[in-house]
Amino acid sequence: MIDVHAVTIDYGQGEQTVRAVEDVSFRLDKGESLALIGPSGCGKTSLLFALSGLLHPRSGRITLDGEEVTNPRRDVALILQNAGLLPWKTVWQNANLSLLLNGEFPQQNAAEVLAHLGLDNVMKRFPAELSEGMKRRVGIARALSTSPSVLLMDEPLASLDTLTREKIQDLFLNLWHEHGFSMILVTHNIEEAAFLGQQIIVFTDRPARISTIVENPQMGSLDYRESSPYQAVMSQLREALET
Amino acid sequence: MKRVLTYVISIMALLLAWELASLAVNGINHAIILPGPFNALSQVVKNAAELQRNFAASAWRLILAILISLVAATPLGLLIGREPTLDRYFSPMIYITYPIPQVALILFLFVVFGTGSATKVTMVALALFFQILVSARGAAKNIDEEHITSVLSAGASRWQVYWHVVLPATLPEILTSVRVSIGLGIAFLYIAETRAALGTGLGSYINKHMLFNRERAFAGIIAMAILGLLLYIAVDVIERLACRWKYVKRRPLK
Repeated sequence: MIDVHAVTIDYGQGEQTVRAVEDVSFRLDKGESLALIGPSGCGKTSLLFALSGLLHPRSGRITLDGEEVTNPRRDVALILQNAGLLPWKTVWQNANLSLLLNGEFPQQNAAEVLAHLGLDNVMKRFPAELSEGMKRRVGIARALSTSPSVLLMDEPLASLDTLTREKIQDLFLNLWHEHGFSMILVTHNIEEAAFLGQQIIVFTDRPARISTIVENPQMGSLDYRESSPYQAVMSQLREALET
Repeated sequence: MKRVLTYVISIMALLLAWELASLAVNGINHAIILPGPFNALSQVVKNAAELQRNFAASAWRLILAILISLVAATPLGLLIGREPTLDRYFSPMIYITYPIPQVALILFLFVVFGTGSATKVTMVALALFFQILVSARGAAKNIDEEHITSVLSAGASRWQVYWHVVLPATLPEILTSVRVSIGLGIAFLYIAETRAALGTGLGSYINKHMLFNRERAFAGIIAMAILGLLLYIAVDVIERLACRWKYVKRRPLK
């Protein structure tokens, strides 16, 4: 279980302090999904980085299964906006970066994940040789390489065309069902939040404070986009963002 | 093959321009002041053994100076570029010492190291050190932060961030600065070699013949140009191998 308690995040010191996140609290049970939505630059990414252990809150506490998150952890994977691939490493090296950094040799499982994501015939290629959609898949493969219990995503589908974006949203949904990890998605895209978040937290403009929490219990199937609850959740989100 | 052909065409054009310049200068002065390329080239063949000896002396000094400056300046430049505290203390030092013409130190270096190769290598290495240091520092400052975040979130240590991100990300710019350093290094090496009265090296060879046997001096200049060309080609090859990712393009699946 992830417990975020009264978290405030500041950048800088003294008079130059900029508050990114203010007094945010929420809980996420094991295997649940949560979308964080709000205006661009409101502080959502800072909160996600704090959840991944890359940033330390000024005050408040983030715990995972009762243990305080202070550093990046093996069981928490982060997918960045542009997949965070290193251009000088091949698909295979990028996908297994977490393992290689820890001095582990990728197991059979790693090859299977790549094959499952349709990357088995591009393993020796560099990111520059891939389409944007494939790069995102490599980012996903890297995240899954350590079998995480929590998957954090920072606008992972930004700048993709609509069809590719929907395909990868479907892929996230399938992987979430298959692997059973908890999922926290930062996005400014209403459709994405409604499709992937069981719970959706709407943030105010900077500093990010929780403005509304929208429940979305019926999500979870690929045809959810065509259903009326999906449309209803989107209207609710639009309204919350406008106010 | 196409690359070799373009090199040949380019060199032929340069030789033609040299020949025209020689005809013009000699015609105006009614004397052979600027030897033509064919005379100089024939001197290269005639003095092959002597040139080879001096070429080897200059080549190893230059290569050694490049390696010393590369090994010293790269890690320092990367550290200064990435660590704000180091940057605060070191940058003023760089700004003060970078503009000092290293040639001004040559007499001092002769006093310290004598008139042998050590002085020549040190002077060239000093000049190139700043060139590479400033490039490495600038390149390290401009690294895409997403790459750093990416490896940190994967559990990288500080050392691993340098090894897996900072060094490969900055390598193309460092190699570009090495390329610039070759020209600069040859110029400094020439100066250092001409300052020693009875030294070896192409600088010394050119200096010895410039007044009374200009065709032989120009043969030395050709040899220096060949030295530069070979080093440029070597850096190109190293970059093609070490930065293979820079030369790939998006391609469809088979």
